[in-house]
Amino acid sequence: MLIKVLYFGRLKELSGSPEESVELRDGSVIEDLFAACSEARPELRRFRASLVASRNCEFAAWDTPLDPGDEVGFLPPVSGG
Amino acid sequence: MSTGHPQDRIAITRDPIPHVQIAWDVRGGANGAVATFDGCVRNHSHGRSTLYLEYEAYESMALAKMREIAAHLHANFAIDRVAIVHRLGRLEIGETSVFIAVSAAHRGPAFDACRYAIDTLKKTVPIWKKEFFADGAVWADGELPPVPAETPGAKPAS
Repeated sequence: MLIKVLYFGRLKELSGSPEESVELRDGSVIEDLFAACSEARPELRRFRASLVASRNCEFAAWDTPLDPGDEVGFLPPVSGG
Repeated sequence: MSTGHPQDRIAITRDPIPHVQIAWDVRGGANGAVATFDGCVRNHSHGRSTLYLEYEAYESMALAKMREIAAHLHANFAIDRVAIVHRLGRLEIGETSVFIAVSAAHRGPAFDACRYAIDTLKKTVPIWKKEFFADGAVWADGELPPVPAETPGAKPAS
């Protein structure tokens, strides 16, 4: 299944692009997606502990199952205001 | 997505925020109070002189989270109208980055709701600030939003 991944803040700078599409096995969860993204960009791994994930514009736990076409964001600590 | 309160103003913009107009527009005849919060760009951060800031957002999610804040205000405070407007892009010292206005019959709920709104926005709305100094730039230290501890059983509607 194809998942849309969005990067923000320092992650966007690190990944070099704001978004990408990632092909995953059915039954994958958000943690699997992060692992797949980190395969291509190992530098992402050191941010894992300081990120939260979103699925379709809702904050989501790392064990959240994914469906085809889901939009997942990897979000650094927020600093709006 | 909730339809929201029809007279609320929840927005993200790249233009200067018309804060005087926004504070005026939340007024209604039944209101005795308008409380506002004007978040503006400070000229220093952690002892360094700031030149300017750049804000970016996950816009669709940020708007959804800002609408959730407004819905929470209506459900929990005796208020009338809510405006929450955040600006993105490059902001100079002294410019308004976020403006919140809440009207109510009485001042207590207006103050309380306004305070709740900015405190919650800073924790839960996916917006990021990069600080530019004479000798470099850094992403501001932020807050990690609270996340569901485990996967909810029900699939969210999409």
